[in-house]
Amino acid sequence: MLLGSLKHFCHFHVVTLLSLLAATGAMAAVCSDTDAAALEWLDKMSRSMRQVNYQGVVTLQRGDELQVMQVSHLVDHGSSSERLTQLTGQGAQVERGAHPLDCIHPGDQLLRLGTLLQEDRCGIAEQYRFSVVDGERVAGRKAVRINLEPRDMYRFGYAMSLDRETGLLLKSQTISHGHKTLETTQFAHISYTDNVPAGSDVDVIHEAQHSHPDSAPANAAATRSWTVGWVPRGFAATDTSPRLNGRRTYTDGLAVFSVFLEDTDLEIRPGEGLVRQGGTTTYTRGMVLGGQPVLVTVIGEVPVNTARMVADSVGWMQ
Amino acid sequence: MNDRMCESLSALIDNEASELELERILAQVAGDAQVRQAWTRYNLAQHAMHSHPVAHMDWDISTRVQAALDDTSMMGTASAPAVFRQRMKRSLQSFAVAASVAATVVIGGRQLAEVSETTPYVADRSVATSASPVGMLNSLGATAVQASYGTQPIPVLQPATRTAYQELAQQRLRQYMQEHAEQAALNSPQGLVPFARVPQIRE
Repeated sequence: MLLGSLKHFCHFHVVTLLSLLAATGAMAAVCSDTDAAALEWLDKMSRSMRQVNYQGVVTLQRGDELQVMQVSHLVDHGSSSERLTQLTGQGAQVERGAHPLDCIHPGDQLLRLGTLLQEDRCGIAEQYRFSVVDGERVAGRKAVRINLEPRDMYRFGYAMSLDRETGLLLKSQTISHGHKTLETTQFAHISYTDNVPAGSDVDVIHEAQHSHPDSAPANAAATRSWTVGWVPRGFAATDTSPRLNGRRTYTDGLAVFSVFLEDTDLEIRPGEGLVRQGGTTTYTRGMVLGGQPVLVTVIGEVPVNTARMVADSVGWMQ
Repeated sequence: MNDRMCESLSALIDNEASELELERILAQVAGDAQVRQAWTRYNLAQHAMHSHPVAHMDWDISTRVQAALDDTSMMGTASAPAVFRQRMKRSLQSFAVAASVAATVVIGGRQLAEVSETTPYVADRSVATSASPVGMLNSLGATAVQASYGTQPIPVLQPATRTAYQELAQQRLRQYMQEHAEQAALNSPQGLVPFARVPQIRE
């Protein structure tokens, strides 16, 4: 991983984000009802997630399925290293080392609105309504609870519990439009320490990728340049994928979805398929674009209708 | 029409509307042309396969809803000797109104409702008699054919049935979830936790 290219990459994102915010500035009136305290908490959450030393045990619950994992996050000399080890199931380990603290990805930029607020822009508050209430205790820590209710039908809601002291996200529930809890992630135990937990028995170790333009992974590759014609308001691209790369990813700061395109010479019968797991939707659509059969897949933490509309909007670059 | 109403309509499309929301939609749809238009717009947006006209878009549910509501309100003004009985009857009637409108609305959005169910395709392996979820299979005159999983390895790009597309989506989930998680881990506030959603983490 080259630092030089990383910095270049991060700079790019600042530019993208500012233009995005400028474009949505006209919507500022919508957020006059926004609780400034909630935005400050989200800002703090985003920073503490990257800047605080912690380790603990996290559970992920989706329906009947419960996963348990150990996580750690250490900051040293301006960069962070983090690790996730599955204690149940596959038992894989994911690591990310030497991640510069000043490399701030679009998702975090959308949450860090401290200064932008004063300029009468409300960023993520255009997409969600917030309320802050006293939270229950999570992993032995006193928490403040922030309820995020989507302003449109294109994203889910969240109930987040943040550590009252550090702002770290201790518990997050993804909530559907029917007010059902789709997925819950929470710390069962946390300690703010720079001691790395002892290694456990793992079979697979994966080095988390750090996407930048030169090495965007090409699991799927298209033979022609393609575009996603529509994404819901407030979603920004997470990286600058080359036009021929088979993936595009978008985030609104909380929800993330990716679009994959495969083109094929084989005859394909149009149709669609859907898999839902907790808050994650996988939607695959077979269709013909300008005489070319393609398979478009949308994977992400968004409702089915969003995935379908995004898939509908995929087209060839003119 | 307010945001709350938009969300309720959306929930209805998602088949996730609660009884309360249904009542609210009912109350509002009776006198609000905007709500009816929004419903049509939502459906159109989701059926934006431009070359295929969508037949149910012209359905106007307002007349039936209005008639049903009129019946209900007339009951309210009638003089009632047996108040308790009347109340029972009335609550039954509103339930019936809710149910009948639900049926009307949901049939209008049937294609969407079908896809929102947990196991939408497994039950129906016969020839599609109504429009398919995106109104495409049937409009092309295609007939649904049972996929032969036993004789062919995996029907990767020859999906013949809805079931095959379901399988295709499962495959794509396994294939792409890790790449999605790489991005989610950098752009959502949960650190590396998005990797826990990957069915099988690869090195």
